[in-house]
Amino acid sequence: MSSNRKLEPSSLSLNDLPWQIVYNNDRCSLCGQCTAVCPVKAIELSVFQKRIIKISIKKDKNQVNEYDTFYGISQKTRVENACIGCAMCTLVCPNDAIAPIKNPGLDRLKFHVNQQGIPRRRGGRRNSSQSILDRIKFTRISMLTDPALDAGRHEFEMRTLLGRVLSPRENMKRLREKGWIPPVREIYPLIIGGMSFGALSPTMWEGLQMGVAYLNEELGMPVRMCTGEGGCPPRLLRSRFLKYVILQIASGYFGWDEIIHAIPHMKEDPCAIEIKYGQGAKPGDGGLLMWHKVNKLIAAIRGVPAGISLPSPPTHQTQYSIEESVAKMILSMSMAWGFRVPVYPKISASSTSLAVLNNLTRNDYASGLAIDGEDGGTGAAYAVSMDHMGHPIASCIRDNYLDLIKIGKQNEIPIFAGGGIGKNGNLAANAAALIMLGASGVQIGKYAMQAAAGCVGTEEDRCNVCNVGICPKGITSQDPRLYRRLDPEDVAQRIVDLFVSFDTELKKIVAPLGRSTSLPIGMSDALGIDDHAAAERLSIKYVV
Amino acid sequence: MAKMNTDAFIKIPGKKDDKRIPSRVLEEIIHRHIKNGRKSIEVEGFGQHGIGGRLWGAGNEKIHIRITGQSGQRAGSLGTANTRIEVLGPASDDIGWLNAGSEIIVHGNASNGVMNGAAQGKVFIGGSIGARGMTMTKRNPRFEPPELWVLGTAGDYFGEFMAGGIAVICGQDVDKEDQILGYRPLVGMVGGKVFVRGSVKGFSQKDARLSHLNDEEWNWLLIHLGVFLENINKTELLTSFSNRSQWQLLEAKSPGEKAEGPEKPSMSWFREQVWDKELGKGGLIGDLQETKKGSIPLITKGDLRRYIPVWEQGRYMAPCQAACPTGIPVRERWNMVRLENIDEAISMGLEYTPFPSIVCGYLCPSPCMASCTRNQNYYSPIDVRLLGKAGEKVKLPKPSKKSKKRIAIIGAGPGGISAAWHLTLKGHTPTLFDTGDTIGGKISSVIPGSRIPKETLEAELNRVKEVIPDIKLNQAINGGEFLKIKNDYDFTIVAVGSKRPRSLPVPGIERAVFANDFLESSKKDKVTPGKRVVIIGAGNVGCDVATEAHRLGAKEITMIDVQEPAASGREKEDAQAIGASFRWPCFTKEITKKGVVLQDGEVLKADTIVISIGDIPDLDFLDEQITIEKGFIAVDKFNRTSDPRIFAIGDVVGQGLITDAIGSGRRAALSIDRIIAGKSPDYGEILPQIDKQRISLEYYNPRNDADNLSDCGADCASCGQCRDCGICVAVCPEEAIKRVEINKQDFEYKVDPDLCIGCGFCKGACPCGIWNLIPNTAL
Repeated sequence: MSSNRKLEPSSLSLNDLPWQIVYNNDRCSLCGQCTAVCPVKAIELSVFQKRIIKISIKKDKNQVNEYDTFYGISQKTRVENACIGCAMCTLVCPNDAIAPIKNPGLDRLKFHVNQQGIPRRRGGRRNSSQSILDRIKFTRISMLTDPALDAGRHEFEMRTLLGRVLSPRENMKRLREKGWIPPVREIYPLIIGGMSFGALSPTMWEGLQMGVAYLNEELGMPVRMCTGEGGCPPRLLRSRFLKYVILQIASGYFGWDEIIHAIPHMKEDPCAIEIKYGQGAKPGDGGLLMWHKVNKLIAAIRGVPAGISLPSPPTHQTQYSIEESVAKMILSMSMAWGFRVPVYPKISASSTSLAVLNNLTRNDYASGLAIDGEDGGTGAAYAVSMDHMGHPIASCIRDNYLDLIKIGKQNEIPIFAGGGIGKNGNLAANAAALIMLGASGVQIGKYAMQAAAGCVGTEEDRCNVCNVGICPKGITSQDPRLYRRLDPEDVAQRIVDLFVSFDTELKKIVAPLGRSTSLPIGMSDALGIDDHAAAERLSIKYVV
Repeated sequence: MAKMNTDAFIKIPGKKDDKRIPSRVLEEIIHRHIKNGRKSIEVEGFGQHGIGGRLWGAGNEKIHIRITGQSGQRAGSLGTANTRIEVLGPASDDIGWLNAGSEIIVHGNASNGVMNGAAQGKVFIGGSIGARGMTMTKRNPRFEPPELWVLGTAGDYFGEFMAGGIAVICGQDVDKEDQILGYRPLVGMVGGKVFVRGSVKGFSQKDARLSHLNDEEWNWLLIHLGVFLENINKTELLTSFSNRSQWQLLEAKSPGEKAEGPEKPSMSWFREQVWDKELGKGGLIGDLQETKKGSIPLITKGDLRRYIPVWEQGRYMAPCQAACPTGIPVRERWNMVRLENIDEAISMGLEYTPFPSIVCGYLCPSPCMASCTRNQNYYSPIDVRLLGKAGEKVKLPKPSKKSKKRIAIIGAGPGGISAAWHLTLKGHTPTLFDTGDTIGGKISSVIPGSRIPKETLEAELNRVKEVIPDIKLNQAINGGEFLKIKNDYDFTIVAVGSKRPRSLPVPGIERAVFANDFLESSKKDKVTPGKRVVIIGAGNVGCDVATEAHRLGAKEITMIDVQEPAASGREKEDAQAIGASFRWPCFTKEITKKGVVLQDGEVLKADTIVISIGDIPDLDFLDEQITIEKGFIAVDKFNRTSDPRIFAIGDVVGQGLITDAIGSGRRAALSIDRIIAGKSPDYGEILPQIDKQRISLEYYNPRNDADNLSDCGADCASCGQCRDCGICVAVCPEEAIKRVEINKQDFEYKVDPDLCIGCGFCKGACPCGIWNLIPNTAL
């Protein structure tokens, strides 16, 4: 800031910014790569002046002031150019001369991001590294009590059921009477949750799908991926890979006319239909794909004109009660595929989830319930929704599962958990904990982005610009200059790595429990936690 | 006692009195016999545990244990190298468990866990074995490896975690070929060899590899097969086992081989052969848009750059020019100075003002300097007055071709003269009318002589007279005259200024004089102010009054105002220098003989009281078609009044600086010129002022206070105009910027998009703010 300039309330200094660029002028080669790659133009080349005073103690000597000019990288302090901590500068710097560090002091930018009265919006996550799931331990280790299994040696059936399982009596009755039996899919318990074509870049989306296809066809792992609400590319709809896909329908109904047009040409039924009512990251709020992300391609897949913003309202307009929502939507979607495809709703975790579940138990067409916890990610939301709205997934899943036990239907309607699974990198442990708390499987999103595409987001408010289409890794951008940084093949390979390693880790957890032929769903006697209140709340053991 | 035949078998029954002897007791009995020197023991087993192992009490003596009956679990376990154990029937679980050297022969089948954990010794099975045979076996480099020979087949999970040793499975009498090794053999195998006669399926490919036998292995096998068959009394089978093509070898993979992992198809193969084949060329969205394989680097060039630099020469106005009411392109003049076109830089002033020296050099408060970018860092602004003063003796600009259009200009003050000047330069014929006997208006009549040298004033006024021949002085203008002029001329410009002083509604006002009257008289030295002077209204005109009063002998000068005095610049400094005191807020109640009486009763004694609270125009001569608002003539942005043929400029449209009057005169003249040419008076968009933040002042010495033209030129930051320094060329890390000459007169800095990475270094380094970095057009 020049000396003779007006001070404004939002005049910030480097000290006020959440991320500060640490720069070493001595090491810098002034190659320009850091400023070229910075997604938010937070850094620039600057001219600096240095005053050199040449003095002498002798009386006859002239005292001289000289000024020297030099160049270096400086950080901008304007709100719109505040560094987001992505560290792309560090990535490209050939001399390790530059890196953002998190300001250990108070982030004062927070008080100024609401310029023009617009509150902060962002993508990403809740930015809290707390996780009750990380604290759950698997305390029941069978050595001589049960046949102890060896994860490396024994064979495991790591499968779960997606679909309504009738009680044996009812099932037999319907078999005898040649009645309708609900469709059930045997799938891998780790599911890639709904991330739309649009929220994700085409390279990312194709990479995920390709990896899923590879896992199915080359490694025999029945992994499934949900489309999110943004339609599905017509080619995928007409391919055999559709059976690996869970199609999502949500309040914006984007891309559904294309899906309807494709139904007569489908070689395979999709795995399932997910009806999205809520998202854990921003419960009670809708979605908005900003116009600048809606290019020709996105428009074609979503069945809308290009260059307009696409809102998905918080609620489905024509549904006025639980009864109606559930019954009407599930029945319509079931009919579309002749009742051959499982249909289930996805809701955000909430203290009202039980009401939805109770409703589903009375509806044979309901194939399950997916619940998304507060730690879920999103491509775009108001920060206030992400940071302060929502319900933790662990207790919500537990409540719902115990409710099913109460009515004796715990083996009939599967619950899927999502939101923050693996948020600190402990994917298999978190997944296993949720499964033992009662989930039939888990959905992941952010973890896949981090592991398969190198998303730089962390729980420290790093990057978080998914909403504005400038993702430095090309994961959530529709700009070919960014998304072409990502090779779908590489993403696919990383997805394969992720699932294969997850599989090993999950086996390492379930083998000592003596489980090899079925997932330990609801096997909560294996769980302990070093927090008495949490143990009470989750009905698991308190261990210290 | 006869010498005991220690080689003869001693028989130990497994039962005594119809009761099974416990394993512990049988063990003690065997050990006692060994201690007694027995070398051959026949045990009639009854399922006792571990018969035949652990016979280290015999030292190096060879011990032969023969087991009849039921051998029990772990026969020969922890076996020692001196022991040969023969089981005459089938064997129970874990025979040869943790074997450390025994030779064990089973003349029948053995159940699960054969040789589990064994490290040495040999086990010959004359039948088949159950599950988990040869598991966890090891090889200690100090000893020969353990060997397991099986005549028939092995059960499930054979060789798990096998870490050494040799197993030979002969596959005799097998119904189905794939049962020689049971389900999932060799999981976790890290060492050793398994020879198999017959086909092999379903072994752990992660851990083991299948191959044919080489000569050495085959020779070894042939020799040792004979030993095995001899031990189990089946030598007749040697011929049928000697078909080399029936044998295969399974060996542990090395850690290196394991690191490579089991062969999986590559993702690029999958993409090409499975993915694209099913979906079509281009994959998932190949039907919707062209897709390119592979990825692009983080640092891109050409079309793939996210941002591109733009050389924005000529797109922005410098702050100095934007601030100049006359619109003088100050930056361009300093640029000429830098290019050593000093004459042109000076004479250029006359294209914008008839008074470069009087106004720019002396009278103007220099808004250009006030807005100079250098002030941002508290550097001294570039002194434009030097350029102005030099304009006194410049040759005249050449007027254009004469047109026949006649324009009347009423009022020969700075505004009127400016209009006439520019109309003349444009080739038109203006006529100046004025009520006074000189031209120049306030410049010549009221501005104190101390503010400007007389010669300068005269020189520039004379130059005006030379340029504008048609000047009619002493012309009183009333309504009738005005109408006549208006009808006689094509256009009329009203430039009569604001001469009617504002007055105060207080008693005794007649005792005061108005500032302009005072200044006019003082200029001719025709006034004696006395010792004490009170000036009501402490603006710049009031300051001029103060200075003049002081010159004429006043000692005690007080300037009062109802608010904080508006005086500024030279005028204020001069007034302060002569010791005038500023007082505010002071509200005048009345003026008496003694002086000024304030509302609070205080009396400011005065010999002379001067009212200096501004002037308003005298517009009585105008006809009613011309709209007047709040005492001033209403004009549009071209200084056109509500009558399209009448323009108004200077103080008649609102009080301002002399430069405002000159600027509006120029604006009106140019508008009239355009209208005459049949064009719209609109001369296009005015360039926006450059953002001062784009200028880099760090290149200049903050201590420089340039006092000559060439230093001023050098220190001018050339805001928004390229100074052709070439710093961008030097700074660009990719050598993407080139200076290109145009027609030997002009130049341009050009970016080669195929070299540029869009780093914006050119923008960051540019001293003048010419370079910008803008988002590239969407792909």
